[in-house]
Amino acid sequence: VRARTERARAVAWLAATSLVIAAGPAGASAELVCATPEGFAAYEAPLPRTARALAGSGEVVVAVLGGSSTLGTAAGGPDLAWPARLGAALSARFPAARIKVVNLSTPRQTAREAADRVRRDVAPLRPILVIWETGTVEAVRGSGVEGLREALQEGIDALRATGTEVVLMSPQFSRDTDAMINFTPYLTTLRELADANDVPVFHRYGLMRHWAEAGVLDLRAKETDKRRKVAAKLYDCLGRAMANFLTRP
Amino acid sequence: VSDGGRDLRLDFFRGLALFSIFLDHVPGNVLAQFTLQSLMFADAAEVFILISGYTAGMVYGRAMARQGFLVSGVRIGYRVWQLYVAHVFLFVMFIALMAYTVETLNKSLYAEELLAADFLSEPAMTVMKALTLQFQPAFMDILPLYIVLLGALPFVLAMYPRWPWVVLVASTGLWLAVQINPRIALPAYPGPDRLWYFNPLGWQALFFLGAWLGWRGTREALPWLQRRWLLGAAAAFALVAFVIRLSGTLHDTFSWIPALVSGKVLWPFLSKTDLGLLRVVSVLAMAVLVARLIPPGADFLGRRLARPFIICGRHSLHIFCLGILLAVVSHLVLGELFGGVLMQLAISVVGIAIMIAVAELMEWFAAAQVATGRASGRAPIAGGEG
Repeated sequence: VRARTERARAVAWLAATSLVIAAGPAGASAELVCATPEGFAAYEAPLPRTARALAGSGEVVVAVLGGSSTLGTAAGGPDLAWPARLGAALSARFPAARIKVVNLSTPRQTAREAADRVRRDVAPLRPILVIWETGTVEAVRGSGVEGLREALQEGIDALRATGTEVVLMSPQFSRDTDAMINFTPYLTTLRELADANDVPVFHRYGLMRHWAEAGVLDLRAKETDKRRKVAAKLYDCLGRAMANFLTRP
Repeated sequence: VSDGGRDLRLDFFRGLALFSIFLDHVPGNVLAQFTLQSLMFADAAEVFILISGYTAGMVYGRAMARQGFLVSGVRIGYRVWQLYVAHVFLFVMFIALMAYTVETLNKSLYAEELLAADFLSEPAMTVMKALTLQFQPAFMDILPLYIVLLGALPFVLAMYPRWPWVVLVASTGLWLAVQINPRIALPAYPGPDRLWYFNPLGWQALFFLGAWLGWRGTREALPWLQRRWLLGAAAAFALVAFVIRLSGTLHDTFSWIPALVSGKVLWPFLSKTDLGLLRVVSVLAMAVLVARLIPPGADFLGRRLARPFIICGRHSLHIFCLGILLAVVSHLVLGELFGGVLMQLAISVVGIAIMIAVAELMEWFAAAQVATGRASGRAPIAGGEG
């Protein structure tokens, strides 16, 4: 089930390694910041309605559901969070469209709670696209994949019924949590749900791992100031990568 | 399914399941794409529980007939105690790891998200709940299942001679009830909604069916197991399941290959927590195929290459715990060093080599004890009890 991400990752590592070798130690980090590995989104389902709306000149509302990492807490606030950076990147690229990215994230929100908010808080915004960052709370608490799957399926069905497109976003990657928290089943569940519903996954976990491994983001920075800077940089990278992801050809 | 002597097929396939469980737990492991989970609706966990049930029914069923309820009950109790100690040992490892990492994590991008982990805020309660098997963090969820199942075994075995059908009907009925209402389960920590990851009330059906087959096998052959239609049905099911599962696995890599049946249709019958219908039928079909197509004295079981599987399967408790430990270590190593496919392969090979080496050591020690006569009158250290 993880085959696709695995292969994409393997290809990415090869590509990254050869790039580093080609660019040499001095130019390497500058070249690689924010670069997504080749084939990062190659197999993900397209988003035709969103692409059309962005190319037009009407209002485009993108709603974002997620937790602390989407709220931008580690960087200092929602202005520095990836949804805000996504909005900036999209507006720069599509000046004609009136793009609004609404961040509905709440710290430690379960998929169940988020699914309940779909009808209550998301629907009134009439978004064309909902980006749903999910799976973290379930994995950290180890509460099992079945509840996650049911809640996400319910939410996806409700959104699809109103013609809203959906992107799922996987949890953050950390070098230190993996031995305590087993993310694999939760990542697999997101993958399976996406395949069954023909919904794309923005594989943040794999992307952050890729950046950490290529050495472009020091996710272990200890000093508060430096950590904030790394977080802001990370969120900026994620926002731009998401903009590319949404506007794939 | 044979009786008399040691059925090496049981050891062999349990060893294979133990290797698979380890490989499946190495994060992102490419090799995990070639284990049972990618090809069938069951994975190594079902195989492990079925064979463990069968072996336990066979070994302790004989013991109960020979030594009576009390003595064999205490013997099973001793085994449960060993499992419990192993569980507590794994928990101590987990706590050590957590204490070591938590300082780092509190100063990381992850700090906010980790607040969801209630166990960090009330360590005293966490220790208590681990001792009562209710706290089941990563990798600590399958031993509690095994402890509960083995703990109930003496009572089930005592009922088999007189009321085998009562047990089988009750066991299947309970499994069915869990399928209909998944809230029929054991509560886990932290509450209020948390349930055991492996629901013993669902998984008991497979374990006790295995135990019943093992227990019956020591007394007489079951003629209906030899029927042609059973083999045909098992082969047909396994083939269809294999094609459907494989199409799904391939679809993940090559999107132009269609998944023959949508996940949405299959999920209700694939619950890992409650042991869904497709999982039970898959593992039983494979068991029938193996039992019928591979004779107990099959050539390959005597080959050198089969030995690592057989000895690991024979010392299943220790090798199982070791496999979990190695999986945790593999997470640490991959987090520290990264590395791609080659690193995963290296970790897989080294891990399995360690499992084999420890099993060899235990074999050697057991043989040495027998040679010096120290093992007489003691519980055999050579494992294989369930």
